[in-house]
Amino acid sequence: MLTLGSWRSIISEFMSNFILTRELIKRFYSKYEAYVNPVLKFIFSMILLSIINSKMGYMSRIDNIAVVLIVALLCSFLPLQAMALFAGLFILLHMYALAIECAIVVGVMFFLMFILYMRLAPKETLAVLITPILFMLKIPYVMPVAMGLLGTPASVVSVSFGVVAAYVIQYIQANAATITTLEDGNMVSRIRFMVDGLLGNKSMMGMIFVFAIVLILVYTIRRRSIEYSWTIAVITGGLTELILMVISNLSLDMNLSVGGIIVGCILAILVGLFLQLFSFHLDYKKIENVQFEDDDYYYYVKAVPKVTMPVSDKKVKRVHSGSSASRSGQHRTGKSAQTASSKSEGAARTERTVHTANGTSRTMR
Amino acid sequence: MINEDKVILMTKLASYEQGEGRKYNNISGYFRTDYISSQLLKSLIAGTLAFCAIVGVFLFYNFELIMEDIYNTDLLAFGRKAGTIYLVCMGIYMVFSYFLALYRYNKAKDSIRSYYADLRKLEKYYQ
Repeated sequence: MLTLGSWRSIISEFMSNFILTRELIKRFYSKYEAYVNPVLKFIFSMILLSIINSKMGYMSRIDNIAVVLIVALLCSFLPLQAMALFAGLFILLHMYALAIECAIVVGVMFFLMFILYMRLAPKETLAVLITPILFMLKIPYVMPVAMGLLGTPASVVSVSFGVVAAYVIQYIQANAATITTLEDGNMVSRIRFMVDGLLGNKSMMGMIFVFAIVLILVYTIRRRSIEYSWTIAVITGGLTELILMVISNLSLDMNLSVGGIIVGCILAILVGLFLQLFSFHLDYKKIENVQFEDDDYYYYVKAVPKVTMPVSDKKVKRVHSGSSASRSGQHRTGKSAQTASSKSEGAARTERTVHTANGTSRTMR
Repeated sequence: MINEDKVILMTKLASYEQGEGRKYNNISGYFRTDYISSQLLKSLIAGTLAFCAIVGVFLFYNFELIMEDIYNTDLLAFGRKAGTIYLVCMGIYMVFSYFLALYRYNKAKDSIRSYYADLRKLEKYYQ
């Protein structure tokens, strides 16, 4: 049976290892950012397009791995907005293959999303793309907590757009047979069927409402200048989401499983805690290559951010004999974790080594 | 002989110029009223297009009803109602666009201001 002290020791050791891993990932990312970003974009677009094809797949020409590979390759070198464009295009083509009226309604919806909001906040594209994917993986509850931590209150709009897109896909998927058999050639009745299904979807409205409240709550708490504000924000957000989802599920007949909601909200809390530990966007500095000149020289400078805590510095002492010694060991382990933590904080400082054209170098603080 | 402090300052300035400075430089090239006006004009066009798209879907949705009652409908009242909705929606959207443009302009100006401060420091090396 493990005592409280042993648990503390295990947790502090885990944290020490975690911080070390985080530093290693950070170091790797800052060094190979130029290669890692395209690979990540490629993988993400592959997943996104494959999910769209597997869930819709009405147009056989684009439901093809070769097409997906080519488009994913294109996305890996283009900005993130291009990925959203291709995903939207894939959905529209599948809709067109099913019924032109579906393509019109979904096209108008995408057009409104782009022209009213995405034009003003292009950085929010990722949130719109990820939300439907999480819906398909049955874990959409992660999104408001994650965006509350990483985004702004304006992210409510992008998450809501993501929810709408996910429900549109779900609705069309569930009613594909009805849409195709609906009075052949009667455009108006098909459009009515689509619009009725979307605007009268109480489940979608309930989900948007709950997500908006949770996102703003998480954002508001994590911005407070209190200790452990991020942790409090994540746990409060997760629990609020759980309660609100259960209430809206019962009152709006959303037909969601309560077990799924509970598991989803627990997962949202875990992902939130993980994001809190891993949010290295806060102190992330990348390698910069710059060129300039003055009256005497041309300079080709590579500014490399300093990363502290080398791997060889890690020392964890274990003391097994006796209770007092055990306590001492716990103390030391905790201290080593503390040291690691303080060193990782040191990494946030901007320190650059400048290598000039003639080989001299200097550290910038 | 290379002046290392000057190199560091020039590196910082070059890094800014090639990164976020490029974006902010475009914005700060405008006068405040010009920048906000151009953004509002874009929002006006975008909002009008979005409204037209919504009206298009609405007309399609109620196509049969409209065709049946076209002679009994008070088109003037219908147009007035549509116009009021358009003005209210556009008003809200334009106010949002105005504050967003103002925020972005002020942010760009602050950023460019600190860049100019560094440029002045660099200038001292040549005096």
